[in-house]
Amino acid sequence: MPIMPTSEEVEVLVIESVRLLAEDFDLTALQQPTAESTLYGNDGVLDSMALVNLIADIEEAVSEKFCAAIALADEKAMSARNSPFLNVKTLTQAVLERIES
Amino acid sequence: MKQIVITGTRKGIGQSLAKHYLAQGWGVIGCSRGDSSIEHDQYKHYSVDVGDESGVIEMARDVKQQVGAVDALLNNAGIASMNHCLLTPGSTVSNILQTNVVGTFLFCREFAKLMRKSDQPRIVNFTTVAHPLNLEGEAIYAASKAAVESLTRIMARELAELRITVNAVGPTPVLTDLIKGVSSEKMDALLARQAIPRYGKAEDVINAVDFFIRPESDFITGQVLYLGGVT
Repeated sequence: MPIMPTSEEVEVLVIESVRLLAEDFDLTALQQPTAESTLYGNDGVLDSMALVNLIADIEEAVSEKFCAAIALADEKAMSARNSPFLNVKTLTQAVLERIES
Repeated sequence: MKQIVITGTRKGIGQSLAKHYLAQGWGVIGCSRGDSSIEHDQYKHYSVDVGDESGVIEMARDVKQQVGAVDALLNNAGIASMNHCLLTPGSTVSNILQTNVVGTFLFCREFAKLMRKSDQPRIVNFTTVAHPLNLEGEAIYAASKAAVESLTRIMARELAELRITVNAVGPTPVLTDLIKGVSSEKMDALLARQAIPRYGKAEDVINAVDFFIRPESDFITGQVLYLGGVT
């Protein structure tokens, strides 16, 4: 059964995933990420491959910590006016919505 | 122990592939819509429809928890329906595309994520000689495999950055359930179009898959290898 986390718990998970990714990809701008850190898009630091890795890392972490199998790159994400991958805050919200659904 | 995911392991070529890699010392993760037909300490089975997105995601998450990284994926599961295009129901078209195309895509997407920590990550998809031979009566099956070939070539480029090679093997007819409803006259005519006119064997397919999976094949990707001399 999925464990329903708070938004703060999801944000901690996303920030930790971004921090680990920054280490792997040597991304100095994201070594100390916050809720406001931009990720992907106009001013984003991530290229498409880094984003793919981040999505996979977060899906795995959500599965391990909250026992929920989610897919972040779903129809909703593709058709959203504002990308859920814009920054840590939007990504946190996207993760939370998918766990809740 | 290296881990290989094989779809459609309950019977036919998938079962032969699973037994082969178990004998080679791999951990084998198989799946089919039904229960397992293989008993082995290093074999784990999932009952899942490969075209069911949530089922495939659940399977991938469980595999991640059970074994961690995956080294290879063989998208063997497939269905066919031999029929004239004017006599083919839309539901048959949807079913074939869902299993052969969507299923292959979903497994590539979910298990490529689990291959990122592998030293030699490999994906082998399954196509058919029915596509290059433009076989009458196999319009939808051949079209679905044409899509699999396109997926193979494009994913080879998209996944190269993750060091994952993506190739496809195209067997000739092998005497399995997939062709049990086809008349012997039709099968003889088909075999005659091959450079080597005989039925394929599971060993022929295993040999081609072994080639794509071996560590030395890390510079081979986006390729489609037909058996029997079909080009």
